Amino acid sequence: MASREVFWNISYGYLVYLLALVSIGIWLYGFYQRYRVWRLGRPDERSKEIGKRIGIFFRHIIVDVFAHRKFLRQPFSGIMHLTIFWGFIILLLASAVDAISYYSGFHLRGSIYLWFSLISDLGGFLILAGILMAAFRRYLWKPKSLNSVLDDGILLTSITAIIITGYMIEGLRQAATEIKPHPDWAVWSPGGWVFAKIFIDLSEGVLRSWHKFLWWFHSILTIGIILYSGLAFSKLQHVIVSPLNIFFRSLGPLAAPSPIDIEKAEILGVGEIKDFTWKQLLDLDACTNCGRCEDACPAWATSKPLSPRKLVQDLKGHMLKLYPNPVQSNENSSSLIGEGPTEAEIWACTTCAACQEACPVYVEHILKIIDLRRHLVLAQNKMPESAQLMLRNMQMRGHPWAGAQSLRLRGDWTTNLDLKVLAEGDQISTLLWVGCTGALVDRNVEVTLSLTRVLKAAGVDFAVLGEGETCCGDPARRAGYEFQFQLMAEQNIEIFKTHHIQEIITSCPHCYNIIKNEYPKYGGQFKVIHYTQLLWDLLKQGKLNLLNEIHSTLTYHDPCYLGRYNGIYSEPRQILKMIPKATLKEMKRSREKSFCCGGGGGHMWIEKQPGTQKISQKRIEEAIKTEVDTVVTSCPYCLQMFEESIENKDSLKAKDLVEMVELSLKKSS
Amino acid sequence: MHTIVCVKQVPDPEIPPAKFKIDPVAKKVIPPPGVPPVISVYDERAVEAACRLKDKHKGKITVISVGSEKSTDVVRHAISMGADDGYVLQDEAFENLDSFGTAYVLGKAIQKIGGYDLILCGRQAADWGAGQVGSILGEILGLPVITFACDIQAEDKKLKVKRILKDGFEVVEAPMPALVTVSSEIGLPRLPAGMALMLARRKQIPIWKAKDIGADLSELDRSKAHTEITEIFIPTRETKCEMISGATPAEVATNLVSKLAKMI
Repeated sequence: MASREVFWNISYGYLVYLLALVSIGIWLYGFYQRYRVWRLGRPDERSKEIGKRIGIFFRHIIVDVFAHRKFLRQPFSGIMHLTIFWGFIILLLASAVDAISYYSGFHLRGSIYLWFSLISDLGGFLILAGILMAAFRRYLWKPKSLNSVLDDGILLTSITAIIITGYMIEGLRQAATEIKPHPDWAVWSPGGWVFAKIFIDLSEGVLRSWHKFLWWFHSILTIGIILYSGLAFSKLQHVIVSPLNIFFRSLGPLAAPSPIDIEKAEILGVGEIKDFTWKQLLDLDACTNCGRCEDACPAWATSKPLSPRKLVQDLKGHMLKLYPNPVQSNENSSSLIGEGPTEAEIWACTTCAACQEACPVYVEHILKIIDLRRHLVLAQNKMPESAQLMLRNMQMRGHPWAGAQSLRLRGDWTTNLDLKVLAEGDQISTLLWVGCTGALVDRNVEVTLSLTRVLKAAGVDFAVLGEGETCCGDPARRAGYEFQFQLMAEQNIEIFKTHHIQEIITSCPHCYNIIKNEYPKYGGQFKVIHYTQLLWDLLKQGKLNLLNEIHSTLTYHDPCYLGRYNGIYSEPRQILKMIPKATLKEMKRSREKSFCCGGGGGHMWIEKQPGTQKISQKRIEEAIKTEVDTVVTSCPYCLQMFEESIENKDSLKAKDLVEMVELSLKKSS
Repeated sequence: MHTIVCVKQVPDPEIPPAKFKIDPVAKKVIPPPGVPPVISVYDERAVEAACRLKDKHKGKITVISVGSEKSTDVVRHAISMGADDGYVLQDEAFENLDSFGTAYVLGKAIQKIGGYDLILCGRQAADWGAGQVGSILGEILGLPVITFACDIQAEDKKLKVKRILKDGFEVVEAPMPALVTVSSEIGLPRLPAGMALMLARRKQIPIWKAKDIGADLSELDRSKAHTEITEIFIPTRETKCEMISGATPAEVATNLVSKLAKMI
């Protein structure tokens, strides 16, 4: 019966387990030091609904860890990580089986043993393949978003050495005991078999002494890596910290800033590393510097100073500088902004959330940036001039548009329309919330008018606020001017309540997101629907029929605040597919991976950094490459941005989805 | 140091003129509906100037405004920028006042507040642009008046003010208390930071009637007004565009120069 002797040729083998225990103890000490650093952060409630959290965590373990959902979006590095991950799982299980069989006296025999040998060898092979891919990528291919440090080299080299010596030990044992009497067994351990063939002619004494030496080398190297990782807090720690970070991930709406309590707040935003919450500090250690966020970031892609990867790594660097291992109390306050990320980086973010979508370990970049902005705006009164102008307009005029851009007044668009405009005392259950851009900017007013016509055609009973509508507060909140947002939210909620409004149809995804997801914290619970959802319902119910043929090749651009923030991907596409003769093509980056138009996070009004490309221009280039004649979207910012960036309007048009619906709606006579 | 700033609420000056209507009989401007009331831009700079002095010398800022209930918004805005107290002067008798009447009402309120070192006004209002209230108010209160300030420094009961002139600057000194009107060159007003915004929202803004400030109603009678509006209209503006032609760029330039020379 095929089998092998565990700890063959090795005396005091149990020492390995003792050493491992000691090294794990030291590793835990290193981990505890980091835990103490995280604890320096402000409190954050992440243990409520623990049952739900555990359920979600296990789903993440299966989908994001075992199946590598997010990793595999980048095929090469995805497969690379997948092979290393599963290789290690196999080898860990195999080592555990060895230990159990040795101490329990229950030995694997026969074909089970042979399969066990094969699978264990396969584990090592998977790791080697992954390491080879990693080394090729890191040192030869060198993608721009990959930054190599000494730690990477140490880990790659030592893991390679551990696997190779493992095969050599196996080969030496086979050469001494197996290859001649049982060559058919040896082939079931192919990694060892190769070395057994090489060592076959050596004398047993030589084999034994080499075996003993390499066995201890292999074991001590493995333990050494655990020690190193614990003391230097190497990237390898991610095997523990990343799942921990996924466990504590935010379960609420995506990147919804936490309210500031005006009565109690002692600090406004984040000016020092300690002003972050413990979870935000844990985020910094969970980041493995993999660069997926940087690859997805529209600011980085257009040469702006921001890279989400660098931002997180710089914050981490600042944290380590203030609190190196072992942690000593450091009462020196140190200004985070400037020493860590710069103001220019902080203002370059459009809050599109592509970084967070790409991050396999659920690092939450956006709220860190908003917290840093809050500090700049609320505590230091520092912001780009264009941001200040926008915020002043919101404060004085109730909307972010002003001056020459807006020759209209808030209620102008309702002139000569047969619309219910809410006056004092009126009550209505359904409100159409058009948003500032839809009410004030000519091109977007066209869309608003089109929407009202389509809703009327479908027999929807709705009213508008007309000149009584003010901004939802989104641009102020994303720019860190929290109190302005709070004022607007409270004011709007009161208006909704006095008119007994239950259902709010929004045209702008930014309004949609903030009213639906962020107003509830201020006492405003309303049913909020985006018009794309409503139109899809009306089409399904047959209240709208798309009969007109539109001979056009379309692509749909997912607005960030509709897609990534709220998961509305399918309704707009379903609607467009119903238009007769229209062909829908997808851009290279769509749905979860959609590339921002550049207008979010206040950037509709904040001037772009000089000398950099417009984000919308990059997106339009992508639309042109897709060979379509119309780029359709469902957000006023996206539409504005595209209108500005399309140079040749004969070959490519920007349309709002509702305009396409209206075109297809009219029966041709 | 106690500074009192007089502020006015005006229809948003960013609104295009074509949106306004004129009532030629009542000789009144009718702003379009939905126009947000804003603080007059020069008055906001006056508040900024007061805040800068407060940043440096501590002390107190009081804001007053003659107007309607809507004026509480602009007083609140000044408070969120850094003012401590604010009052709105509202009375039927205060409606349709000319510069003299307005200055009289402000003067009465300032005398009631008392204990001031400096009165600040905008150089003129963003709506009518008369630019008289400040000087008349100084006269009523018997204070030295310095107009068009672009920088104000205070040192032991003495003011050092940089004034804007047509072709430069002038630095003048005056003893305190004094009245200074502020020009936009003083710099951008601050964005109300942090909690000030919320605190201002909750601040009580008392409303003072004529009797509260001891204003003599006969002084405010229209018949006693020093000014009268004879006509009011929206100017029509015409733009003509003429393309200057020429065979070479140099010729185009020559033609343009000769055209311009004729126009001067």
